[in-house]
Amino acid sequence: MASVRNRAGKQGGAVQPTLPARRHAGGWATAGSGAGAAARSRSGAVASAGRKESGTVLYWLGGLAISAVFVAPLLWEGLRSLQPESVVTTAPSAKTFGNLTFANYQTLLSGQDDILRNVINSLIVALATAALTALVATLAGYGFALFRFRGSGVAFGLVLLAFMIPFQAVLTPLFLELHSLRLLNSLIGLALFYTTFNLPVGVYVMRNSFLQVPRELVDAAKVDGASVMRTLVSVFRPLIMPGVATTALYAFLFSWTEFLGALSFLTNDTLFTLPVALSNVETGTYGAVNYGLLLAGAVIAMIPCIIVYVALQRYYVRGLISGALKG
Amino acid sequence: MTLANGTADRAPALAGRLGWQRGQPRAGAQARRTTRTGLTLISPALIFVSVFALFPLGFGVYISLTDWPLVGAYHFIGLSNYTSLIHNSEFIASIVFTLKYTAIVTVPIFVVGYALAVFVRSNRRGATLFRTMIFLPYIVGLVAESYMAVVELQPTSGTANFVLAKLGIVGNTTAWTVHTGLALTAISVLVIWFAAGLTMMLLMAGMQGIPHEIYESARVDGASWWSIERRLTIPLLRRSIALSLIISVVGSFLAFNQFFIITDGGPGTSTVPVVMSIYQEAFAQLDVGLASAMSVVLVIVVGLITFVQFRYLQGEGD
Repeated sequence: MASVRNRAGKQGGAVQPTLPARRHAGGWATAGSGAGAAARSRSGAVASAGRKESGTVLYWLGGLAISAVFVAPLLWEGLRSLQPESVVTTAPSAKTFGNLTFANYQTLLSGQDDILRNVINSLIVALATAALTALVATLAGYGFALFRFRGSGVAFGLVLLAFMIPFQAVLTPLFLELHSLRLLNSLIGLALFYTTFNLPVGVYVMRNSFLQVPRELVDAAKVDGASVMRTLVSVFRPLIMPGVATTALYAFLFSWTEFLGALSFLTNDTLFTLPVALSNVETGTYGAVNYGLLLAGAVIAMIPCIIVYVALQRYYVRGLISGALKG
Repeated sequence: MTLANGTADRAPALAGRLGWQRGQPRAGAQARRTTRTGLTLISPALIFVSVFALFPLGFGVYISLTDWPLVGAYHFIGLSNYTSLIHNSEFIASIVFTLKYTAIVTVPIFVVGYALAVFVRSNRRGATLFRTMIFLPYIVGLVAESYMAVVELQPTSGTANFVLAKLGIVGNTTAWTVHTGLALTAISVLVIWFAAGLTMMLLMAGMQGIPHEIYESARVDGASWWSIERRLTIPLLRRSIALSLIISVVGSFLAFNQFFIITDGGPGTSTVPVVMSIYQEAFAQLDVGLASAMSVVLVIVVGLITFVQFRYLQGEGD
């Protein structure tokens, strides 16, 4: 462990000490596979070149087959969502299988089963949660890492304690509390709730980010006499951005896919987030049950997750490795 | 995992060197300034956590000792809600069902996740791509996938029966959600497929933290692949294994979405997990006191699992 970190540190750590963690987490495979490939090509030049080649081919074939098990069902549902309701709900037949149309999407996003509003609700809540969590966790991480005082350890323990409380188990009292705060049936209320349960992970990640800022920078900032907030924005910001990205990404994915809290705290269907609105589509609250619409709605729910994850996955993996993840 | 611990080990040393922190002799005025700045910075987080997590927890315990109605006065009734839980057959059934479900999915998630981690931990080109693809079902979320499962588990039109009938495994009119065993089987397969990627990522992160030198000496000794895995990797991975198991067990204990969407607890009430039982007690039966008592029991059980996890992770320092 230590040796791995040190090696990564030597490669690029002197300038930016946040790099070792990131390199180790997200960049590990890229950096490693480059080195590995070079080593292989050197040794492969001798005798076992043929065997290595066939090993690589086998690895790719195996990998693609395994990956297909996990990705093919999602692609399949993407295809199915393009079939009209009549095809989705009848026995599969080669004759009708290829009748593809965007009709489900058109109905969902413009017709009477209007879930466009719910998509926007979901986006508002997820973006607000991501921004709020990143902001509050950054401030707290800054305070916990660089401005310790008697009692700040206890306060940190308090924040981590929330990590041990499953939100599923405080829904009832939270419902009554949000009701008296007039935050029930409110997208703001929902975002505040989501922010709270993303904070323990966020604060933990951000505190570690600030602890990795090199001592020279902290000292220089202090000597410079710049204010606390100014130092944060002008000196530390570039160094802690990976942590901010990790925190915001977790919060976004959590709120975009969350179901039980939204189901409990929203009763007005114009405020429903997408996952809850789809349960109305499933049970036919808007009219007849339409499985074509349900599939298209589920695909719409998947797309932002896939885009955000593929674009920012090294930050996600970084968060996983920090061990501060709750299932 | 290991990375985080490494960082944490280094933290106090680094902290000591920083002038801004506790432990450094300095003038009283400066100490007060540090305290004020620190408190100001952490107060938003403390307010969030106190208002929306710690207070509801305490409030829930309080409510659980009353006969809280939605309107009107309430009375303290001591531990009556808790004693009545012992005889509440629906709550007991939901606990038994949740334990059964957890027992069914935990081992497959771990075994599949471990095998996948061994496959993608390699340095080979392509490993990153496979990792991303295998992890996608977890990222996309169980809610969207449960809705898809609803459509695909339909007896005559769903893909599940179409494929399984072609393979000769089931008849092509199998009604998955009408029979408890079939419903549980379908949901378990869905969840294993969904969660294996997370276990894979957690174990892979642990595996990559093991220094290569350890393996090289074992290979020189001519140890077989399986004995290297069993004698070296698994003992060194203890923390990652514990973490991934706890996350998966706690996740199963708190299961709700897939059951609400796919079976709605049916047939009858045979697939109602604990969280759904609490949800129904609070929002359908409107018995807030009893629902809170159930929640407190759930907090204690989950808290115990998490606590054991932390103790284990902290106790096994390397």
